Amino acid sequence: MEQARSSWVIYLSLACALLFMLLPFPLEWRVLRPDIASLALFYWVLALPHRVGVTTAFFLGLGQDLIEGSPIGLSSLGLMVSVLVLQSNYQRIRQFDGVQQSLMILVLLMLSSGLEQWLRNGIEMPNLPWMGFMGLLCSAGCWLVVREILRFFRRYYEVN
Amino acid sequence: MLLAALCLSSLFFFRDHPHVVAVQQSAIDKVAVATGVILAPVEAWERMAAAMNSRSELQDEVLRLQQENRVLKGQSQRLAALLSENARYKALLRSAQLIDDELIAAQITAVSPDPSRHIVVIDKGLLDGVKEGQAMLGEEGLMGQVILSGDRNSRAVLITDSVHALPVQVNRSGLRAIAEGSGLIDQLLIRHLPAKSDIRVGDLLVTSGLGGRFPNGYPVARVTEVVISEGEAFALVTAEPISALDRGRHVLVLQRTVGSEAES
Repeated sequence: MEQARSSWVIYLSLACALLFMLLPFPLEWRVLRPDIASLALFYWVLALPHRVGVTTAFFLGLGQDLIEGSPIGLSSLGLMVSVLVLQSNYQRIRQFDGVQQSLMILVLLMLSSGLEQWLRNGIEMPNLPWMGFMGLLCSAGCWLVVREILRFFRRYYEVN
Repeated sequence: MLLAALCLSSLFFFRDHPHVVAVQQSAIDKVAVATGVILAPVEAWERMAAAMNSRSELQDEVLRLQQENRVLKGQSQRLAALLSENARYKALLRSAQLIDDELIAAQITAVSPDPSRHIVVIDKGLLDGVKEGQAMLGEEGLMGQVILSGDRNSRAVLITDSVHALPVQVNRSGLRAIAEGSGLIDQLLIRHLPAKSDIRVGDLLVTSGLGGRFPNGYPVARVTEVVISEGEAFALVTAEPISALDRGRHVLVLQRTVGSEAES
């Protein structure tokens, strides 16, 4: 009972991260929008792997798909797989310094968006342009910021 | 494992299942509300700025709009005459149906975050009569079509989306073709046109009405390049959409109503 006290912080932060997707970006620059929702998810998995896992990733992916208007389930699979990878390596990744962690996050993002592209091919949706990779770089660049913000909230509300 | 199976099955088997579509439809409205909340400060700022416009500027604008309105009215007088003349000819030819187009004014409220697609959200939905498949017009020409409607908001795909294609014809020669979206906001492609076709740079492409999705005669794009390489069977034609797809917020959705004199 004691443990489930502050879980609303987790879900609220994920919801806010999803809302970031709604901020207006010019049509040609949408590619560079950092994927804050995935970053927030990765943070919570890294910090509290016993609380946040594949199920959360699934629902976050659903939320992304509903917001984007893409077929339901497109983003979920990639997120679930990368969360699995993260969960089995979280102890190692926690020890990394900032740059190493950002690189690791980049790899995870590439994994999830790679899976998404594969699914897109399967259902004949257009693939991301090559600029999409720049978007992943932007996301990875935002990792440290997201991490610090969420860490602040985690400590402030004593989420565990 | 179970959730992964759920993802895959929803993607590959149940993508058009009525329940899934219903969820997506209701999501459109909710997302639009959330967007509205997020954008409220921006809107408020814009309104403030508009309210600060000086009186003389507003007067100038009113004057300009009045003049424009007069010109348009003059043109539409002629249009009415032409339409009735056209209707008489059609009746003479026993053409199948007369189609009136009703317009619903809407505003683009958001652009889909998915960077591989050109999808916008407009602020009219099923309750306003906007339905899947209706054409969306900009000020100058065709912009796209509605693909999914919620109660108060809809999602529309632009003609430049890379999985969109529409039947067009060259206004000058009547040559028919399919204009595909290129994924670039200022480019349409016509791929499978015989190299000897009568098409030139500067030609206007209008909707041909084939396929029944778009009504005929609305301007779509202007040809910017015709590449005919030696030995190739097809010319590669690129065209630039006439309406500025990435600018402006006001659009019109065409509601087709088949006229009463149909099927004579």
